[in-house]
Formats: sequence, C-alpha cells, structure tokens
Amino acid sequence: MAFMPNQSVCLSRKTISAAMVATFAGLATVGASGSVRAEESRAFVVSWFAQATYTQENDCSGGVHPALEEVYFKYLPHLGVEPETIDEIKQSYAAGEEDDRLKDFMMVRGRIDGEPVNPWTYPAAVQDLELPGLDGEYAYGFDLDGQGANDPDGFVEPETFEKGVDHQLYRALGCARSFRGSLTDSPTYWAWAWGQLVSSQPAWVVTVTGADLSKDGPVTVKFERALEHLRVNGDSSPRANMAYRIDPDPRSRNEFPGQMKEGVVTVSGGGDMRVLQNPLVAPELMLRNFHMRMDVAADGSMRAIIGGYQPWEDVYWGFGNLSIGGEQQVIGDASQLYHLLKRYADADPNPETGQNMSISAAYYIEGVPAYVGLPSTSGLTTQAARN
Amino acid sequence: MRPKHKMLSHLKYAGVLAAAISAVILTPVSGAEQSRTVINRITESQYANIIADVFGSDIDLGGRFEPGMRQDGLLAVGSSRVSVTASGMEQYDAMAHAIASTVVDDAHREMLVPCTPAAADKPDDACAETFFSGAGLLLYRRPLTASQLDAYVAAAHIGTEQAGDFYEGLSLSLAGMLSSPMFLFREQRTEPDPDRTGQLRLDAYSKAAQLSFFLWDSGPDAQLLEVAASGAIHTDEGLKRQVDRMLASPRLESGLRAFFSDNFRFSEFGTLIKDTIIFPKFDPAVAEQAREQTMRTVLDVVMKQNADYRDIFTTKRTFLTPELGSIYNVPVFKSGPNGSPDQWQPYEFSEEDPFTGILTQISFTALHSPAGRSSPTFRGKALREIMMCQEVPAPPGDVDFTLFESGKDLRNATARERLALHSAEPMCAGCHKITDPLGLALENFDGLGEFRTHDNGALIDASGQLNGSGFDGADDFADVVRDDPAITSCLVERMSSYAVGRSAKDDKKDWIKGLNADFAQTGFRIIGLMRAIALSDDLYTLSNAEISTAAAK
Repeated sequence: MAFMPNQSVCLSRKTISAAMVATFAGLATVGASGSVRAEESRAFVVSWFAQATYTQENDCSGGVHPALEEVYFKYLPHLGVEPETIDEIKQSYAAGEEDDRLKDFMMVRGRIDGEPVNPWTYPAAVQDLELPGLDGEYAYGFDLDGQGANDPDGFVEPETFEKGVDHQLYRALGCARSFRGSLTDSPTYWAWAWGQLVSSQPAWVVTVTGADLSKDGPVTVKFERALEHLRVNGDSSPRANMAYRIDPDPRSRNEFPGQMKEGVVTVSGGGDMRVLQNPLVAPELMLRNFHMRMDVAADGSMRAIIGGYQPWEDVYWGFGNLSIGGEQQVIGDASQLYHLLKRYADADPNPETGQNMSISAAYYIEGVPAYVGLPSTSGLTTQAARN
Repeated sequence: MRPKHKMLSHLKYAGVLAAAISAVILTPVSGAEQSRTVINRITESQYANIIADVFGSDIDLGGRFEPGMRQDGLLAVGSSRVSVTASGMEQYDAMAHAIASTVVDDAHREMLVPCTPAAADKPDDACAETFFSGAGLLLYRRPLTASQLDAYVAAAHIGTEQAGDFYEGLSLSLAGMLSSPMFLFREQRTEPDPDRTGQLRLDAYSKAAQLSFFLWDSGPDAQLLEVAASGAIHTDEGLKRQVDRMLASPRLESGLRAFFSDNFRFSEFGTLIKDTIIFPKFDPAVAEQAREQTMRTVLDVVMKQNADYRDIFTTKRTFLTPELGSIYNVPVFKSGPNGSPDQWQPYEFSEEDPFTGILTQISFTALHSPAGRSSPTFRGKALREIMMCQEVPAPPGDVDFTLFESGKDLRNATARERLALHSAEPMCAGCHKITDPLGLALENFDGLGEFRTHDNGALIDASGQLNGSGFDGADDFADVVRDDPAITSCLVERMSSYAVGRSAKDDKKDWIKGLNADFAQTGFRIIGLMRAIALSDDLYTLSNAEISTAAAK
C-alpha cells in the first residue's frame, strides 16, 4: 500500500470555501482563491490501536502460558499451602467446580516481610514463576537501538524484512494467551483495551503535511489528541471525514520530521511521543525515540506501525488495575506479566539499580480520513488540515 | 395508592362525554353559517402548533398521527379528502386526554386555568365556563355557541361530581373538546358576499383561520380573532394590517416550514431506509438533519434574505452539522464543549465544490433513491413532480423485466448504461425519457448524497439537456433548472392550493395567472407572493361554480 493523495475522494475539489477561509485563518490547505499552494495536509483520526503482534506457530519454545487456574496452582506451594489442600483444590477444578479457597489465596498472593499483600498493588512481592517469553523470529517494529542484524534480541520485521527490530514488549507478552494474535486478528487484551479507550477518551489524530504528498520528500507528522471522541457510524464503524478540534493541551501535542518515500511515510527517531490516554489502560502513551511507518489505502484509510521505548511500569498498571476480575476475564495473571516486562525491559536503566525502566514496543494503528483544526482562544477553529 | 378519582376509568365518563360532544356536533348552525364548503383535517404540525399556542410548548402530545393523503402534490390539499379512521380516533382521544391532564395538572393549572374553583372537590360552573369560553375560542377558531359552551360546562360538572375533583372534571370535558371535529377539522363557513352578487365569502372567523393556517400553520391568535369579531377583517385596511403584521412575525417561519415540508414531501423521511452496509453514514439522526438542512437553506434564501426563490437551486450557502459535514466531505467543527449536542453552523460551499442548491442536498439525493443505490429515474421523477408540477405516469403493470435480467451483464454498468436500455424499449421509453435525463445530472451523488466521480469503476457522465438547454454536471444543471419557467409557475400553483386547502389549478386559473405575473414582477420573492395570496379575494371567496366543482370532487 502506498500514500496516494490523488486517489482520495476528489482531493482537487476539496478546497476550503471562501466563507471558511474567513473562519479558518492560516489554513494548511489554501482555498479556492487560486493562490499558490504552499503545502498540503492529510489528517486521520485513529480508529484502532493495539500492540503490533505477529503470532506464529512455534514462536514460544517454552510453551504458551498455561490457563489461569494452572498458573494459580503454581503459586500455592510458594504460599505455604499444604499439599493436601492443593490436591483438594485441584480436584475441585478437575471436576469442573470452583473452589473459593483458590481465589482467597490469589487475592493476597504477594508477600512483604512474610505478610500477605495485594498482588496487583505490589506485583514485585509476588513470586516470579519464570514463565517464558516469546522467542520467535518475526515481530513488527523498528530497529530502535541501531544495532541492526547484530542485535542478539532483534526480530525480523515481517513486512519490511528489516533485521534487528526491537520489540521486547512482544517478547515479554507474546506467549501469554491474551496477547497472542495478529494485526487483523487482534489479541484479546488489546481488543478489550481499544473498546475501553474508544468509548472513554478523546480521539487521537495524525496529520501529515508536506509540499506535495504525491511525491517523495520531507514531511511533518503530528500526533495529537482531539477534543472530541471518535465519531462512529450506525454500524459502529469509524465515520470518515468528520472534523476534530485539536486539544491545545501541550501534553498531547507532538510533531516529528518525517519522510515520504514511495507513498510510505516514515518517522525515524523523532524524539518523544506523548499523548494522554485513559488511565484504565495507561495514563499516557509515551514512546521515546518515536518511529512510525504509515501508508494509505485507496479508500483513504490509513494504517501504521508506531514504536519506541515505553515505560514498562505504565504498561503493567494497565494490567494491575484490572485486579482479579480482569485477570480472569481478560489478561490472565498480571503478576507474571509484571515480571516478564521487568525481565525483558531493554532501555533506560535506573542509575542506582541498573534495572531497565523502558521496553521497546510497537503498536498498530488504523485511521480514517478526518479534518482537524486548532481551536483558538476566541473559540474559533483556526487551522484546518484536510485529508 | 392512586387517589380515588384517578382510579375511575375513562369509560365511566364515556356517556357523559358522548352526550356533550353530540350536543356540540349537533348544534344547529345559524342562518349566517348555512353554507359549508371545504373541510380540511388539521395536519400534525397544525395540531402541535395550536396546542403550543394555546397551552404552551411544554405540553406533550402523547400520541401519533395517522398519515395524510397527498393530492396534487400536497398533503394540505389531500387533507380535504380524509376523515379519521377508528384507530386514528383512538389516537386523537389518547392525545386529547394526555393534553387535558397536563393542562390541569399541578404544574400548569395556575397558569392555564384562569380562575380558581370555589371548592376543589365540587363543580364550579362559572369557573368552568370561563375556562371553556377562552380555550374554546382558540381551539375552535371561533366563539363557542351557547349550546356548545353549556355542553362542555355540563360535562365538566358531571365529571367533577363523579371524580370528586374539579380539575379532573375539567380535564375530561377538555379532552372531549380536543376530540371534537370542530377542533380536528378546519371548517370553512361561508356567507353571501355583499360586494359580489352570486358569490360567497368566508365568514369572518373562517377568513381569520384561512389566513392564519396559511401564514402561520396554526389557528388565529387573539388579535386576529378580535379583528374577526369586529368585522374589520372584511375591510381592505383591516385585512392588510393583519397580513402585514403576520408576515412580519417570527411565526411566519412556521408557515413557511409547513409549506415547504409538505411541498418537498418531507413526510417521506418517516419511512426512508438505507442499506447501512452500503451507506454506513446514514442513520435516523442524519435523516432528520438532512431535512433540517434543506429547510434552513430555503428559509435563508426566501425569508432571511428575501431573495429570488429560484436561488434555492443554485445557492452555495447552507447550514451543516459536523455529521452532515462528514457526508459532504467538508470540515464542520463542533462549536460547543466536548460531549455537547452538535449545533448548526452556516457554511458556504466553494465554487469548486459540486454541491449547489437543494437538489444536491441529502434531502433530495437520498430521499429520492432506493435503499442501496442512486436512481436517476426516481430523482428525475421527483424533480418533475415536486418542483415542476409535472405528472409522471406510473409504470405499466406488465413491464417486461427480462430485458434487464438476462442477456448483457449489467452488474458493472453505470446507471446511464443501464437506463439506456429503457430508451430502446417502447414500453418504457415514454416516461424514462422525461425522468432519466434530469436524474442523470445528479449521478455524481450516490444513494446517500456523497460525491463520487465514478460509478462501477466508470467515469460518470452527468451531462444532458432540459428543454433545449444543455448542462454538464450538477452545477450546470442547477442553473438550467433555476431558469426553467415551470419552477416558478409550479410554486405559485402549489402555494395557492396550499393556501385555499384544495386544488386551485382548475377552478382558479385566472387567479393563478395573476399571481404568476405578480411573482415575476417582484423578482420571485416568496414573501411577496404570500402577501399577494393573503390579500387576494380569491383566498376567501367562492363562486357557486367553485362550490359545485368542489362538491363534485
């Protein structure tokens, strides 16, 4: 797929009307007055967000993580539960019955100074069962550390075949059942997470601006948050060509230099990308050393892989917040995910402990054409980028 | 536990109310009221407007209306041919009780009942009489006769005795008034015209109602009723003063909305469906907004700007919501806080935008298309019938569809290619040649109204001719339509029929001819046309020949 502005819905006619020019001063796209077009922009509202996963058979040589009850059983000896009791609990589950004792043990499976504590609030206090990480060959993402083929932890990118791709988040979570999937068959957790995000947080918008988006050359990519939520059609599909106002809050304003080449927009090491997010998943999506690869389909929709180094504790708290109900229904054992994230973190070491505090990550986003504008202090939208 | 009187069934009062209503209906008319002509059932909007005018806009109607019948392009004309079905009467009765209960409830009675009963649990005929004489004047559009008033007071009296509650009795009797044919139908009563021998004119109250329903889509207000009572409405000066007052009133918008909603067949939005797999942007909210967009566009031209009526076909100015903006593919930003309802915003398409005038708006392109595609035939037929008052015959019952279902594979053909087969088939060609060329001009708009350049992968050809004038695309087409004389003559015909409540094209030809000339002279200003109609004797007089014609129909 390629970036094809001329194949979008009648781009040539989509010039802001004279009346709107008066309203939207400083347009990214010049109006119908015949003046020289300095640059053009296309904007998209993000209509899907999930970790970029590429699950393959045999990519977990240590095995896919067992079912949640099986993981819970593994804790019991560490918690000092008598073997007879463990057998009774296992027999209950084998008979298809629940045993409330297992839940009771799991609710306080952390230990601090020998005292039971909430495992979701104190994940480090939970026994590390050393569940395996993913060791397959392929993963979406980017070569963030520049080691290329020499990176011992590097993946091969399944679309670009680039080597040395850093996506340790995928290595950490890729063998957990709820995190296995593909771009088109999303992992359970991320499908659930997007469901939460889309209905509870303002939309994210991506804008690409360049002199001529039909040609190769430098572009500017903005990743921002809107004031409005994603608007959808009656069938819940994202509604194309809606107008979104950019939230002027600087915590969600990002601009990166990029390149357009053969219809693909790339950002390589553009700095930090930060946008506010629903804290239920993470309070902020922060990707240091931001990378992006984006293309646009003939119908005007966009798909992109974005990546960078992400604070792994932010990722964990999205799991830990879900507590016992979330473990059972969505994510599986949160405590072990904590240990996996910590184990596979690959950047930003703590100067005192040496523990890496960030993990390389890659996410998959989709978007539909949108209009974006920046509200001014007068309340008027002062800038409009057209898809 | 509900109060005792609330538990009593309405059926218990059926005999009381039936007696009261019968008394009202059977009340003999006086000599001056001896001639009756057209009787129109009031429309849904007229019902709602009257209730809002008399009792306030917060009164919930609490029911639904049965559909009207369109004749000569207008429900307003068809309303002279319809009665009330049994189920329709049930709905009127339900609404009447709902409205009456609200009028006398604790929140409203102090404001809407102009007196306080001596005792809340006993009849108070004087108070009931005060209430019904005032409400009756506005609801019946004329003073109640003594026997009518007595009947409603008596019904309230009996109802109060049985319920043990004055307001309950008042409510039950009011419900009877709201179910009365005197309220539900517009009755034109005539009297000999003293200035024109052999002709009849509407009596003063019917004249006031005729004027009010035409200009405001509602019953006469107190001032107009006073002018009717004094007889001043029969004087040129008295009528002119009222017409000018009413044309200057913000309520004129209601009248214009009602006319255009009827003329543009917006009632069909109630049954409009789209395949949301093909047109995911369509939903009931969009349908409602599409209709409102066109109404705002038209009102902007004909009322706010008082511009040439024909400009509605070529104007680039309109009003949009963010949702409509997404369909027209233009940026319409929310103006309110996040989460607030979308608000209407003025918008002007650029000259390069293909959206020009109301024929390119969703209310036309989507309303006159099937669920899953566009239809040049439907659109052309609608344009002919709605905007040009030209009748397009229904397809014959023995259409041979094998021509289209076999042979050449048409699945990937453009609409123009598919329809070309019609022109080669004599059975179809006669009608399709008058509809399809017009509809094909709008083929750049899909079955919802989104702009497109291709149909089934082929570039759309939106060129054609109308009455010898060539066009290429919707912009050109809008200019050609605007200049077609049928556009203005149709409006005059429709508006005059709308005003009199029956078809005027046959028996008021001279009047319509004169109106056409006036309309052209004023530069096709609708307000001017309405004024001419409202001041015209033809709106209020009937020759005996017209009465005979109307009766025969």
